[in-house]
Amino acid sequence: MHRVAITGLGCISALGNDVASFWSALKAGQSGIGPVVAVPHQHLNIKIAAEVKNFDPAQHFDEKRLLLLDRFSQFALLAAREAVKASGISFKGDLGRETAVIIGTGAGGMNTLEDAYARLHGHNGSSSRQIPLTIPRLMVSAAASHVTMEFGVTGPSFAVSSACSSANHAIGEAFWMVKTGRARAALAGGSEACITLGTMKAWEALRVLAPDTCRPFSGGRKGMVLGEGGGVAVLERMEDARARGAVILAELAGFGMTSDAGDIVQPSDAGAAGAMSKAMQDGQIDPGDVGYVNAHGTGTMANDATETRALKLAFGNHVRKLMISSTKSMHGHVLGGAGAIELVAATMAVHEGVIPPTANYQRPDPACDLDYVPGTAREARVDAALSNSFAFGGLNAVLALKRAA
Amino acid sequence: MADIAERIMDIIAKEAKLDRARLTLDTRLDELKIESLDLVQILFAIEDQFDVYVPYNDESYKLETLRDVVDGVNRLIAEKQAEATGKG
Repeated sequence: MHRVAITGLGCISALGNDVASFWSALKAGQSGIGPVVAVPHQHLNIKIAAEVKNFDPAQHFDEKRLLLLDRFSQFALLAAREAVKASGISFKGDLGRETAVIIGTGAGGMNTLEDAYARLHGHNGSSSRQIPLTIPRLMVSAAASHVTMEFGVTGPSFAVSSACSSANHAIGEAFWMVKTGRARAALAGGSEACITLGTMKAWEALRVLAPDTCRPFSGGRKGMVLGEGGGVAVLERMEDARARGAVILAELAGFGMTSDAGDIVQPSDAGAAGAMSKAMQDGQIDPGDVGYVNAHGTGTMANDATETRALKLAFGNHVRKLMISSTKSMHGHVLGGAGAIELVAATMAVHEGVIPPTANYQRPDPACDLDYVPGTAREARVDAALSNSFAFGGLNAVLALKRAA
Repeated sequence: MADIAERIMDIIAKEAKLDRARLTLDTRLDELKIESLDLVQILFAIEDQFDVYVPYNDESYKLETLRDVVDGVNRLIAEKQAEATGKG
């Protein structure tokens, strides 16, 4: 068994196109939620989202390559480039053959799919002829493939899809690969880009989108806000990272997963608590050593009350000493990419000793009676942290981090 | 108006798989124990049939009985008609 170091991070989200801008916005409690730009408002009842801003794909990819890249693949590539550069890792020689690439996504190439349907069924005259690259752009594994090609790494690579837990499942599996020696290093994360007319309307119909903003764990919360973006972490053996003198941002110490086997949309406290407990057991972390939980915290009535009960089940009395925040209040719900973006937040929190707040918090809700770090970031050195992802369909995945010694 | 009430009760019975004969204007919503997914189907059907938008988590609607639901839909229809007239 090997200990696993996080030596590089990359992310793109509504809070900025790199980790530095993301982290400074989180620490300032700034929300990236605003009026939707990608979808005309006359079609929408819910008119807000957390969209990536100031992103021109042509500045990052040449024209020929861009033809192959759905927006979700672009996000994954941008995040991977940043993470690899930051880590200083080189994939030359044997390491490239022993590096895994696992990227989670809930929907894959939704923009490509929707464009294809518009072409097929659209009001401006339908066409039975599709753009030839539709399939390779939309497949859920496209982002993983493009990341392998970007760096020439030839180890195990695939996509993971488990709705809003996709990224945590991807990162957790990659972590276990490195831990058990099945891979020597990994690029792991998640990406999602589905702020499209079709997706917005479908989420609206499910009646879980907030019309105002995302207020996790707060009284008066009205639901989630769709976000988009991607995140990637460089995982490598602790001894390799130390040998090459890399900066170790945190130790990825544990992964736990459960399924509720209950309901396709309603969450279960027992399932969520089980995943948290398993992550701590896997990482040999005493619940009393955990100082921070980056919550799933979607801002829906059901999730936040259930997650609060789950935290009580998993932590017992220690739950009153935990700092819990939902950074979705700022970067929105990035669905299959959420766990990757939130791992960046949790890793930076452990690394820097600053706990990002839950933004937009208004007042206590009796069903949510813990310390959610409302409004303002807090300086606090924590020994261990969890990052929660719980998906529709009851698929729970939790990552556990330790501060680098 | 009576017609709207009948149509709403038809929708609720169908989507929540309830005995239509059980439903009256005085039936309390909490007695029906409607599951969340059935609820979103009911709201979808109401929006579709009456061409209105049912706002999400709007605290100005106090929904306790089916009469409250019918009154709420009537209010949405009236608001929509007023808006259309206003725009002239």
